[in-house]
Amino acid sequence: MSEHQITLTTRDGHEVTFSCGDSFDVVSAGEQAAILLPSLCRDGGCGACVGHCAEGEYTLGEHNAGVLSEAAVSGRDVLLCRTYPQSDLKITAPYDYAHIHFGHCEARNAVITGLKTIADRTVRIRLSWQDEEGGKAVEFEPGQCMELEIPDTGIRRAYSLANTGNWRGELEFLIRLQPEGRFSGYLSRGAEVGQVLKVYGPSGAFGLQSDSLNPAVFIAGGTGLAPFLSMLRRLAEWGEDRSIHLLFGVNRESELFYIDELDRLKQQLPGLSVTLCVWKPEPDWSGFSGTPAEALQHYLQDHPGDYDIYLCGPPLLVTAATQVALARGIAEQRIFSEKFG
Amino acid sequence: MFCYQCEQTTRASTGNGCHEVKGVCGKDETTADLQDLMIYGLQGIAQYAKRLRQFGENPSEADDFMLYALFTTLTNVNFNASRFVQLIKETAVWRDRLKAQYEALAEQQGVAAEALTGPGQWRPASTLAGLMIQAQEAAAINLELQQVGEDIIGLRAMLLYGIKGAAAYAYHALMLGYRDDDIGAGFEEALDFLATHPGDADQLLDWSMRIGQLNYKVMAMLDAANTGSFGAQQINTVNLAQVKGKAILVSGHDLHDLAQLLEQTQGLGINIYTHGEMLPAHAYPKLKAYPHLVGNYGTAWQNQHQDFTQFPGPILMTSNCLVEPSPAYRQRIFTAGPVGWPGVRHIVGGDFAPVIEAALALPGFSEDAPEQLITVGFGRDTVMGVADKVIDAVKAGAIQHFFLIGGCDGAAPGRNYFTEVAEQAPDETVILTLGCGKYRFNSHDFGDIGGIPRLLDMGQCNDAYSAIQVASALAKAFDCGVNDLPLSLMISWFEQKAVAVLLTLLSLGIRGIRLGPTLPAFLTPALLAKLGEAFDLKATGTAAQDIQDAMKKAA
Repeated sequence: MSEHQITLTTRDGHEVTFSCGDSFDVVSAGEQAAILLPSLCRDGGCGACVGHCAEGEYTLGEHNAGVLSEAAVSGRDVLLCRTYPQSDLKITAPYDYAHIHFGHCEARNAVITGLKTIADRTVRIRLSWQDEEGGKAVEFEPGQCMELEIPDTGIRRAYSLANTGNWRGELEFLIRLQPEGRFSGYLSRGAEVGQVLKVYGPSGAFGLQSDSLNPAVFIAGGTGLAPFLSMLRRLAEWGEDRSIHLLFGVNRESELFYIDELDRLKQQLPGLSVTLCVWKPEPDWSGFSGTPAEALQHYLQDHPGDYDIYLCGPPLLVTAATQVALARGIAEQRIFSEKFG
Repeated sequence: MFCYQCEQTTRASTGNGCHEVKGVCGKDETTADLQDLMIYGLQGIAQYAKRLRQFGENPSEADDFMLYALFTTLTNVNFNASRFVQLIKETAVWRDRLKAQYEALAEQQGVAAEALTGPGQWRPASTLAGLMIQAQEAAAINLELQQVGEDIIGLRAMLLYGIKGAAAYAYHALMLGYRDDDIGAGFEEALDFLATHPGDADQLLDWSMRIGQLNYKVMAMLDAANTGSFGAQQINTVNLAQVKGKAILVSGHDLHDLAQLLEQTQGLGINIYTHGEMLPAHAYPKLKAYPHLVGNYGTAWQNQHQDFTQFPGPILMTSNCLVEPSPAYRQRIFTAGPVGWPGVRHIVGGDFAPVIEAALALPGFSEDAPEQLITVGFGRDTVMGVADKVIDAVKAGAIQHFFLIGGCDGAAPGRNYFTEVAEQAPDETVILTLGCGKYRFNSHDFGDIGGIPRLLDMGQCNDAYSAIQVASALAKAFDCGVNDLPLSLMISWFEQKAVAVLLTLLSLGIRGIRLGPTLPAFLTPALLAKLGEAFDLKATGTAAQDIQDAMKKAA
C-alpha cells in the first residue's frame, strides 16, 4: 500500500495535512490521524463532506449522484468519504478550521429515556449519558450530528441533534422511519426505554454562521427540522434574537410535528417567522400548499434582499431550493446545506 | 479594513498593517470597520461631553459607556460584529442625548451653541452596507493618508491606541466602583482633539504625552481600586498544579469578575484557577482568603488553545486576550464584560450561574498533581516594605542592577529575548516583572540576594504603576533621577494597554527603554528617530549585548 500526503485547505485558509493509504478514503485516514473531518453518512450519500480536489490523482467511490452530479465530478469536486488517493492530494474544504475536531472520537453510552411517535413515520428519541465518569456535559454546535449505534451490530447512523448543548446529559433526535432503514427497523421493532446505545460525536460542519449579520431563511424538509430546532432553541436560550424565516415542509399534514414548540420559539424570538408547507394538503389546509422550495421562491420574490439560506432535508428538496436561491441572486457562498437520504 | 494596532500586525515591504479580509488576530473586515465607525461615533460623544463641562455638567455615565466601548476594540477582546452594530446605535443615542442637553443649556444661558460637524452630526446608516460605507469614508485610521502622510497617521494612531489602553484600565477600576471626573474629562478632550483631524506632528506628540500622564492617573486609580477592594498585595505562593475536583478557569485581567465568581462558588465544591494575567489575584488578601482559589493553570494567553483544551472545566474570559475558541472547548468557554466571540455564551450582569452549571457537569480533575509553587505579591507595598534592605544591598554592591522585564507576551519567536535576558542577567541583579510576559521565566529559580528574591513579580501590566513608584522611591533614596538609577527597562509589548504604559513611561521622562520584540508598525522611521532622540527609545537587541550595555550603568 502506498502512502500519500493529503493537504486540506479550509474555507478560512488553514492547512491540515495527514497521510492516507490508497486503500483508505480521506475521512477515514483523517480519523486514524485523530483529525475528525466533518462528515455525516460516511457512505457517499449525504454530501456533508463535499470538497474540491485542486491537485493530484484519486479514485472516487460509489456515491449518490443527487449529492455530487456528473458535472461536479468532472469539475473535480469530491466526497471526501469516497475519495481514495492515488497520489498526494491538495483539497479545498467548504468548512472552517474550527469545524475540524482534533482527537479521537470516543464513544459514550447513553440510555434511552424517551421514545415517542410525534407524527406519521416520525419518532423522537431522547437519551441521557449513562455514566457519570465523563461528566454530564453535552457539548456540540447547533446543526451538528451524532452517530447512534444499533446495539450488538456495530451499525451506526448519524442524526442531527434537535436540542441544544446542555449540562444535564440530555440528547434529542428526530428520526424519519425509512421502510428499509436499519435504524428505523431497530426503532420500530426493538428499541425501548432503558436500553443503552453507543453514541459517537459530535461531528459535522452544518450550523449557524454566527459571524454573519444577514437575515436567514431556514428551509426544512421533514426531520430536517432537527438542526434548525437546535439553532432556534439556542438563540432563545441565549436571548439572541435574529431575523429568521423558517419554511418547514412535509408531504402530508399528518407528518407535521412540533407546531407548539415553533409557536413557543416565535414568542421567545420576535425576529422568527414560520411558514408551514404541505405538498399534498387536505382541502381545509390553511398554510402554504407546495414544497418549501416553492415557498422559498415566493418569499424571496416578496422580500428581496441579502440572505443566508440554510437547507436541510432530502437531496431533491435541497437541490431544488438551492436552484431557487441561486436564481434569485443569492450568492453560492451564502447557501449552507445538509442533505440526508 | 486597515488595522495596525498590535505587535503581530502584518508587516510587508509594500506597507504595514492588516488590510485583508481578516487580521492576524482573527478580527474580520466587517468587525474591524464597525469598530472604526464606533470610535468615530465616540468622538461625537466626546465633543458634546467636553462642551457640557463648560456649563458645569458632568457627563459621567456617557464617559462610562465610552470606556466600555473603547475597551471592546482592543486587540483580542471582541470579535462579534453584531455586537458592534448594537454599540454603534447606542453610541448615536448617547451622542444625541448629550447634544440635546448641550443645546438646551446653551439656550438657557443665552450663548450660541457650537455647530459641531463630523462625528458630532453623523447619523448611523440603517443597513450594514451603509455602515460599512460610512466606516470606509469617515472612520478608517488611515483615511487621510494621501493628504497628511504616514507620520501624521502614525501619530494619530499612537494617540488613539494610548486612549484605548488607558480606557481599558479605567474600565477595570470602574467595575470596582472607582471613577474620577478629571480622568473622564481627559478622555473627552483627547477624543475631541482627534475629531479635529489634527495634522501637526509636535502637537500630536504632545497629546500622546498628555495621554501618558492621563494613563498614569488611571493606573493610580486602578491601583487604589485593587488595593482598596482586596487589600495591598502580599507575598504568597501559588500552586501551578491541578487539584482533584470540579474546576473553573478564569482568564483576563478583571479582578471584579473573579471576586464575584469566588463569592458565587463558595461551598459548591468547585475549585477556581487563575490563568494568564489573572495570576496576581493570588497576592490580594481578600481574594486569596477564598479557600477554593486553589492555583494557577496554564501560562500566557497565546498558549490558550493548549491550556483550555486540556482544562476539564469551563473557562471564563474577562478581558483580553481571546483568540478563536477551538471546537475542543468552544461550548465551555464564556465571555464577560467587553469580551465577545460570535457563538460563544456571554455572561451579563455578573451572574455566573451558567458557568457554575457547566463546572458541575464537566468532569474536573480526577486526581491531584504534585505541587509546583511560585511566589507572587511584590507590589509596591511589599517592595517598599523592604526598601531599607534593598537600598543597603545596593550600597553594599550586593545588588548591582535592576532589570524591569515585563509587559505582554505573544507568539513571536523574537520574544525569547525576554527569557534570555532574565536567565542571563548576572546573579548580582534583581528582576522586576509584570504582565503576562513573566510566564517566559517565572517558574525558573533565580535564588535571592540576602533574602531578597531575585525575581519580584509586581503583578498585572497595570502594576507598572507599582514599578514607577518603587523606582521613584529608589531615586529619592539615592538622591538622583530615575534615569540615573541602575535600572533598565526591557518592555515586551503586544496591544494597546502596553501602548498606554509606554506613553506613561515616556511622559515621565524615562529614557533608554528597550522595546520588543518588534517596534510598533504605526511608528514610521521618522517617528522612531524622533522618539529615539527625545527618549533614547530603542528596539531590543540581543540579550547578551543589552545586558552588557545595561551593566555599564551598574550601581
